Amino acid sequence: MNAAILVQAAGEFTRTSGGEAATFWVLAPVAVLAALGMVLARSAVHGALLLVVNLFCLAVFYLLQDAPFLGFVQIIVYTGAIMVLFLFVLMLVGVDSADSLVETLRGQRMAAIVLGAGFAGLLVFPIGGVISGTKAAGLAAANNGGNIQAIARLLFTDYVFAFEIVSALLIIAAVGAMILAHRERAGGKITQKEMLRRRFAAGGPVTPVPGPGVYARPQAADVTPALPPASDDPGHPGDSGDSAGGDADSPHPVGAGKGAAR
Amino acid sequence: MLSNYVPILVLLVIAAAFAIGSVIMGSLVGPKRYNRAKLDAYECGIEPSPEPAGPHRFPVKFYLTAMLFIVFDIEIIFLYPWAVAFGSLGIFGLVEMVLFIATVFVAYAYVWRRGGLEWD
Amino acid sequence: MSYPSSFGAPAVPPLAAAGDPDLSVFGGDPLWLILLKAVAVFAFLLLMTLFAIVFERKVVARMQQRVGPNRHGPKGWLQSLADGVKLMLKEDIIPVLADRPVFILAPVVSAIPAFLAFSVIPFGPEVSIFGHHTALQLADLPVAVLFVLSASSLGVYGLILSGWASGSTYPLLGSLRSAAQIISYEVAMGLSFVAVFLNSGTLSTSGIVAGQRHWWNVVLVPSFIIYCIAMVGETNRTPFDLPEAEGELVGGFHTEYSSIKFAFFFLAEYINTVTVSAVATTLFLGGWQPPPIPYFSHFDTGWFPVIWFVLKLLAFLFLFIWLRGTLPRLRYDQFMAFGWKVLIPVGLVWLLAVATFKVYRENVTDRTPWLIGFGIAVGILLIITLVDPGARKHAERLEAAERERTRNAPSLDRIPWPPPQPSSKSPSPPYGPGPNRPSSVIVAGGPRQES
Repeated sequence: MNAAILVQAAGEFTRTSGGEAATFWVLAPVAVLAALGMVLARSAVHGALLLVVNLFCLAVFYLLQDAPFLGFVQIIVYTGAIMVLFLFVLMLVGVDSADSLVETLRGQRMAAIVLGAGFAGLLVFPIGGVISGTKAAGLAAANNGGNIQAIARLLFTDYVFAFEIVSALLIIAAVGAMILAHRERAGGKITQKEMLRRRFAAGGPVTPVPGPGVYARPQAADVTPALPPASDDPGHPGDSGDSAGGDADSPHPVGAGKGAAR
Repeated sequence: MLSNYVPILVLLVIAAAFAIGSVIMGSLVGPKRYNRAKLDAYECGIEPSPEPAGPHRFPVKFYLTAMLFIVFDIEIIFLYPWAVAFGSLGIFGLVEMVLFIATVFVAYAYVWRRGGLEWD
Repeated sequence: MSYPSSFGAPAVPPLAAAGDPDLSVFGGDPLWLILLKAVAVFAFLLLMTLFAIVFERKVVARMQQRVGPNRHGPKGWLQSLADGVKLMLKEDIIPVLADRPVFILAPVVSAIPAFLAFSVIPFGPEVSIFGHHTALQLADLPVAVLFVLSASSLGVYGLILSGWASGSTYPLLGSLRSAAQIISYEVAMGLSFVAVFLNSGTLSTSGIVAGQRHWWNVVLVPSFIIYCIAMVGETNRTPFDLPEAEGELVGGFHTEYSSIKFAFFFLAEYINTVTVSAVATTLFLGGWQPPPIPYFSHFDTGWFPVIWFVLKLLAFLFLFIWLRGTLPRLRYDQFMAFGWKVLIPVGLVWLLAVATFKVYRENVTDRTPWLIGFGIAVGILLIITLVDPGARKHAERLEAAERERTRNAPSLDRIPWPPPQPSSKSPSPPYGPGPNRPSSVIVAGGPRQES
């Protein structure tokens, strides 16, 4: 059935040039392999990358079939926007190569295979049924006046209702993302002034504590730096702020003045 | 039609050959002096944190940005054929695009209003 | 097709395009010519990168009253070449935690689309090369601008992948930041193009340049300004160079990269700078068209236009460097807020205004009542802006909130100084000069003695 259509198509257009066929036969296996790799890759990011390869191959197929607008839109929207979203999400949830491969839902692999095969059948048979009965209008008619102009003519006259529906879909996408990802903040935004006030009022060390291996315990300019005493443990002076008790752990000499005052 | 892509393909081959060739060359030409510290992740001299992303991962904010980007990207993709064919669409084209933009703008205004565009 | 097939032909009315411009001049080149042009574009980009790096360092040095590079080659102009050779000879380090294949792939992925985007930029009109008639443009497509956009959207992968594959904190943060930044400003960039397409009726770059014979699209001022801002954001350059904010993120996504791989990120960044400048030249500044000055405007055939093109390109490069020499880096939240809350609404409103104007010009014959109505509307808006009825209320509310906050917040006078120590025992300094050192004699009494 399909072979007959192909023969008919080839007879009608005789446009399947050598270059077109060659590109197809080079990229089609790449696309299939990338799709398989996407499913089988152990690392989620590798899977996403293979999906990018697959989508890119599809875009080239669109170009091959004289649909340049669709081809580049495929690259811009799918590989450029949607896959970037995927990668963001993968980074948000954390990407370790040690991701668990244990099935959390029992039998989901079997279900996925069955459903995938079913969906493929659903895609193939109706489409095959549709194209076997009809006669192609031809690229010359479809791209009359230019590819983009032809698309615009169809999109903004015959399919204007569908086009407006898309905007509603976009609203749903934005609102859904807000509900999933946005956390309302109670009260207004804290200004930097306010943050500084809070930091000082809370007491304790005002500056960040030094990293491990740093000997300057007090970080104020009014304290002369001292070398670590030989007896003191040189290990972790970074916790000078919250170490409780002990003469050796109270490095602020200015504390003496305050203690005497109270 | 397809012949228009041939020069792009040629440039692609040249650029790819240059890039891949240089990367291979670079790994061959340069010295190899093993040093454990060199192979560690660089974190300004302190001990590198064991996990790249840290315990808190990332602000989920980035997800929202990417989603909004998709919304606007699709809007722009619709705008291009509209702009190209605008001469023949006339007032009808203007009205339908105003409706479309206004509808998408509702989503934008909602996200803005709820503070989705704030970064802190 | 309404466009004449030759570029030197009389101007096409820019508002009357009903089909794609005739691109038959492209795609008919023999293979040797295609190779020649591809190599020429490639070499042009490499040379521009080498030039731009030294140019940037020299100009920034002048702006900062320094001398700049002056050792390698005549007056230091070979400095970037020397740097490149040196980078090539450096050790190539791949961190242990890195994901090796992706780590190696990332610089390649970021460099290749940068080269490709330039293939649809017109350098000049049709010329004759060795007796062969051809356009000074590697390729053109009916959707050439979409091609540029898709190349830039593929370039984002280089950043994301490099940050992820490094297996380190700073690159990951930097790459996420830069990806978010680039996609945010890509929206504004895409919006700014729409007014140009409304004007030219085509997406092909040669068609857009041909349509600007009399009027450069720079008359679409808001679009041009939005594009100029967005292109700086797209290329991660100062004042929008947050991904590599040295003070916070060390180097951003390429922190872990060394040797030639680092050089490729550098190369991609500069090529992207050149490319966005070329796109700006093509879409807004008339591409290779000579400036509309009576004497100059005759030089629009043969190889002369290449000079105009390169001059305009250099002007944009200088603008980039000037910005870098002048402006400090923005804070990330301000930067994102600017992109999403200012550029995008302004872009949308402006493109609707252009479309409305176009419809008005074509469909309305008796213009007086419309003009009066438009004038009244603008007047009302102006008055509203000037009077700004909500402003006082808003200011009062802000003031009240600030007063409330000041009252609730601990004032600086009540802040204990020095900060309270958690230690309970008698606090004598464990080491140091002893109890009579000067800093310990803060007088008890006043809550705060020092500044």
